[in-house]
Amino acid sequence: MENKPTSSPTSFVDQSVVPGDVVLDLSNMTNQTLKLGGGLRQDCDAISVMKAGKLRFSNPNKYWVESSQKRYVPRAGDSVLGIVVDSKADNFLVDIKGPGLAFLPVLAFEGGTRRNIPKFEIGTLLYVRVVKANPGMNPELSCTDASGKAAEFGLLKDGYMFESSTGLSRMLLSSPTCPVLDALGKKLSFETAVGLNGRVWVNASSPSTVIVVANAIMNSESLSGVQQRIMVEKLIQNLKLST
Amino acid sequence: METRLANIWRLTVNEKKFIETALQSDLRIDGRRPFDFRNISIKFSREEGSAEVQLGQTHVMAFVTAQLTQPYKDRPNEGTLSMFTEFSPMADPSFEPGRPSEAAVELGRVIDRGLRESRAVDTESLCVLSGKSVWAVRVDLHILDNGGNLVDAANIAALAALLTFRRPECSLGGEDGQQVIVHPPEVREPLPLIIHHLPIAVTFAFFSNESTVVVDPTHYEEAVMGGRMTATLNANNDICAIQKAGGEGVLQSVIMQCLRIAGQKAYDITTKIKNAVESYNTERALRKIKRHPSSVALDISGAGVNKEKNQNKPVPQKGDSERSNLTSEKSVADQSMDIEGEAKSSEQQQTNKIDGDAKNFIGGPSSWDPYSAGVNSDFLKASLASRGIKMPRRKEQDSRGENMTGEAKPVEPSEDINVSSSNIEASETVLWTNGEKTLKDAVKPKNKRKMKSSSTSER
Repeated sequence: MENKPTSSPTSFVDQSVVPGDVVLDLSNMTNQTLKLGGGLRQDCDAISVMKAGKLRFSNPNKYWVESSQKRYVPRAGDSVLGIVVDSKADNFLVDIKGPGLAFLPVLAFEGGTRRNIPKFEIGTLLYVRVVKANPGMNPELSCTDASGKAAEFGLLKDGYMFESSTGLSRMLLSSPTCPVLDALGKKLSFETAVGLNGRVWVNASSPSTVIVVANAIMNSESLSGVQQRIMVEKLIQNLKLST
Repeated sequence: METRLANIWRLTVNEKKFIETALQSDLRIDGRRPFDFRNISIKFSREEGSAEVQLGQTHVMAFVTAQLTQPYKDRPNEGTLSMFTEFSPMADPSFEPGRPSEAAVELGRVIDRGLRESRAVDTESLCVLSGKSVWAVRVDLHILDNGGNLVDAANIAALAALLTFRRPECSLGGEDGQQVIVHPPEVREPLPLIIHHLPIAVTFAFFSNESTVVVDPTHYEEAVMGGRMTATLNANNDICAIQKAGGEGVLQSVIMQCLRIAGQKAYDITTKIKNAVESYNTERALRKIKRHPSSVALDISGAGVNKEKNQNKPVPQKGDSERSNLTSEKSVADQSMDIEGEAKSSEQQQTNKIDGDAKNFIGGPSSWDPYSAGVNSDFLKASLASRGIKMPRRKEQDSRGENMTGEAKPVEPSEDINVSSSNIEASETVLWTNGEKTLKDAVKPKNKRKMKSSSTSER
């Protein structure tokens, strides 16, 4: 398994890798601290890949493997869209498309006290932040950001939610703005909430706008930037023709 | 237990409200209008009698098989048709392996009723020996992906599979004529089922907003709807079955409107199914033809071979090179089928010098003849019908330069060959036993009869 990598580590960055590929040889690098993210594993001197995807690198020393799936693996710090499944005395049970249900403490809201516990019925859509996500335990969520402010977390009213892959969610959240949202935003006004767990919520003043935006986003996963713009223009033209 | 809870697909209140709000302005979440069907794609596999249908995201596969069994006591002259459904767990998180759920049973029952009560599949023709031995046709429906509206998709798949299914031909033999001999497909061409009409199921979904109705609901709409109704109709607007199991109450006027819409949709879908089946049959016939020329060409006399080559060159120039290949190959194949009539056929053809080239490569007998008895009349009919040679052959005779003449002529000799060979048992061959005639006599009246028979037996 300990192959001598024939090329330097940077050549693997932004390339598709599969489990078993050795992407870094530590024997060449001394006195350096590397941060390994998801999908990478250290075996003595070799860093090998555990998950199929693209290897990414960010300065100064972070490596990780990015892949797009329909399932979501909860990680602390992610902002996700959850659906309330049940409410208990101390917390709400929320489904975030992970292996198990997540707990949202009843008090984890801005200015939350025992007196003003929000009432969420089953099926309510929430925009929440993952606080703790340890393997084997149910993840813990919160409707506030790290400093305790609401910061737009919480209940999402009206609108329409649909599922996407994790890769598409990341693309929608990337900066600079991804071409689909950019092109749509120039012509239509709408608001979206994107969860890293593969859920996207869209709201606008008229149902036809919502439908156009939702379909445009759903179709844009495998298209390049230019193709996305073309697709969006076609959809908007159809929309204008029908109204 | 919690893990199970986490894997179920859930509906949010937002979606429910949005779908209903959008429907009030006649919009659906995938951009369709309320009475639009999703795109239907029908695919067949190499095996006969299997079809895969995609209706938007819904994927269904149907397989048809047949077995000889004893008939029911109260119906000794009829074959049986039975339907089995399997809701694969990969289709939907809520499908469990094992015993069919209520929805699975209901789906099988609705499709079965549509075919059985309307007598779409002719069961009397499935009888081999009255009271002892009949064909039991079994349709297996596998749901591969649940994107909503499984009934309609499964119905289309079942129909497509039944239309392309071929059962082995069997004859009675033995000392007392009581033994059933099933001929393998290499010996005798298998026969299609007789299907009188196509009952198409059209599903409507009702929402709590009074008269909001949509056709072909998706998975989301099914979760939100208040009630549903499935109407099974054929292209002639005959209602074969209606299924409305519980759900919201609906006004009578709405039901009548739904039935009218269903009639239109049934007609459209019938056309699509028929086109798909026809193109499949053409392709199948082509595949059969391509098997022959390589071996038969060796046996044809030198003159025949040369002329074949010559024919292949000028004919493509006329435009339709595919058809010319089909022609030459087909005529060659026809020759290989029946050794006996060849001498006669070559005579007759040579007397008919309409298109001299096409005739002359009927050469010596071929030593390899997979069809020891009879001709696959079905194959001929299928390929002719699918090529759409419904126009009278007179036109072809007149326009000598046309490609079609090349096609028409090689078929005629084979018809005459069939006439002379009397070992065809299928009922359709009654037409062929007209005694020997010249080719010109054969062309006009014979074609009309053949066209009619092919159109009725195939539909």
